[in-house]
Amino acid sequence: MERQYWIRSKPVYTSLLWHEKATAHLVIAEGDGGMAVLKLLQQKYPTQQVNGFFVKSPNALKNYADIISSLAPAEFKVFGNTTEALNSLKITLADCCMGTCFYVAGSEGFIWQVAKVLASVGVQDDDIDKELCGTLARTVYCVHCKAITHDAHHSVVACSGCQRQLFIRDHFSRRLGAYMGLMVDAEQPGILPSIEEVYP
Amino acid sequence: MNQTFKKETFRDDYTFSNSPEAVKRFPFPFHEDEYMYSVNIEPHVKTAVGSITEFTFDIDEHYVAECEDKAITLANDPQRYLCLPHMMDAQWDTLELMMESMSNDYPEQFNLTKEGDNWTWVNKPLGITTKFVFGDESSLPMEPLEYIGRQVQGDWVMLDQRDNNLFADGAIVTSQADWSLAIDVGMSWQEWHGPVPIANEIGVFDRALKYLLNLQLGSPVRRLNWTMTINPRLDTSPENYPIWGPDRLSVTPENVGDKVHLRVELQTLFRLPRSNGMLFGVRGYLISMNELVTNPLWAKRLHRVLKGLHPELAEYKGLSYKDITIDWLSKYDDGTSSE
Repeated sequence: MERQYWIRSKPVYTSLLWHEKATAHLVIAEGDGGMAVLKLLQQKYPTQQVNGFFVKSPNALKNYADIISSLAPAEFKVFGNTTEALNSLKITLADCCMGTCFYVAGSEGFIWQVAKVLASVGVQDDDIDKELCGTLARTVYCVHCKAITHDAHHSVVACSGCQRQLFIRDHFSRRLGAYMGLMVDAEQPGILPSIEEVYP
Repeated sequence: MNQTFKKETFRDDYTFSNSPEAVKRFPFPFHEDEYMYSVNIEPHVKTAVGSITEFTFDIDEHYVAECEDKAITLANDPQRYLCLPHMMDAQWDTLELMMESMSNDYPEQFNLTKEGDNWTWVNKPLGITTKFVFGDESSLPMEPLEYIGRQVQGDWVMLDQRDNNLFADGAIVTSQADWSLAIDVGMSWQEWHGPVPIANEIGVFDRALKYLLNLQLGSPVRRLNWTMTINPRLDTSPENYPIWGPDRLSVTPENVGDKVHLRVELQTLFRLPRSNGMLFGVRGYLISMNELVTNPLWAKRLHRVLKGLHPELAEYKGLSYKDITIDWLSKYDDGTSSE
């Protein structure tokens, strides 16, 4: 794919690094995000309190939950699915104070589910460190029927709502946690471009 | 002012057209034979009688028909109005600005009376009379921005100013040139301009943001922007792209004059007093090629602008019918000066 220009709403993910100036630290990771947690644990460990949440995923390369539990000085709560983890996170957030730093790692869909929970208590997007791990799979919002399609791996995906073939544009809505999906053959119905696996 | 309002449509049978007077006041946007993005912002001051900037908000012969088209679009897709909860002060700011300006500038059409916070708004062209309590949402049939936005031509976006940035945190959008409110609501300045090519790279948006963050109350600003549209369609939204997208392929050398329209946006920005937010207006004007070439200088100039248009801009604006249009316009360009 040639990129003549880039769309600035497309999130840029970085590597997690502890912030030294913090009142506490909250780490939330899923699946292959376990690798990002392990990389954090190789850095100088914070002197402030650390709370950890980890969601196991059958798709992950390793059973990171066990490795993290044996290495991490603080307890990492381990969950079997994202919903339970987010419910537990909401309870913990009620006791968090100003100056807490947030670290999120995992698939893009997971990262923005967590960001939405954090936003509900006033944590701004800029104040959440995010590391994308394991997959480039995308969440897509269909502008035509408003349905969300998860885990898109190809440049064009069939909408889970209206079945239209959607081109996945790099334009990303943080509010929806999804990329813009636009009917790819609107001008000439049935004429599709070559479809490539660009988000393995 | 004795304004008559045309009965016309912006969809299906497309009966929209401009009167000779409307063509005369059309905001032709090109001041030279070539076009590139620039920070073309100027004070939004009142200009000559009859011009589109004679008043703060321009109410023209298309007013009633455009408001009817807006109502159809909103009925089909209520999410063309979206507003984040922290924008309620900005909504009232917007309602006040529009009602005061319109009733002052067009006293025969609009009337606003105030007894303390008890306000009465009369909109004669649309046959609306509403008594409400300013600041009390429950006294209006819908949220203030949607209520007044349905009564003013164009799209209206409210910007929240924080962290040295502007966020598009609420809007009523029914006549957009291919951007989605559902996707863009809540976005920062850089995010919502993200898809625009070249302008980012040449620093236009950074400079414009710096300028706008210092916008003062009572000193609104404006600029013109443009694109092209097939058929006089107001709702060229991504949402309805399956409806209007195929029209782009319907252009032939025979129908260019009727089908191809230049679409000019008068963009205005106002500082809002209570919220310290901003109101961003995008008011569109459409003109068919047949109407446009009644002005020989416009015909020549548009021909040259399209011929020299940067390919990335043409692609971004979706001008797949550009070459047919250039051919059609060429017969109006004898090569002499367009000044």
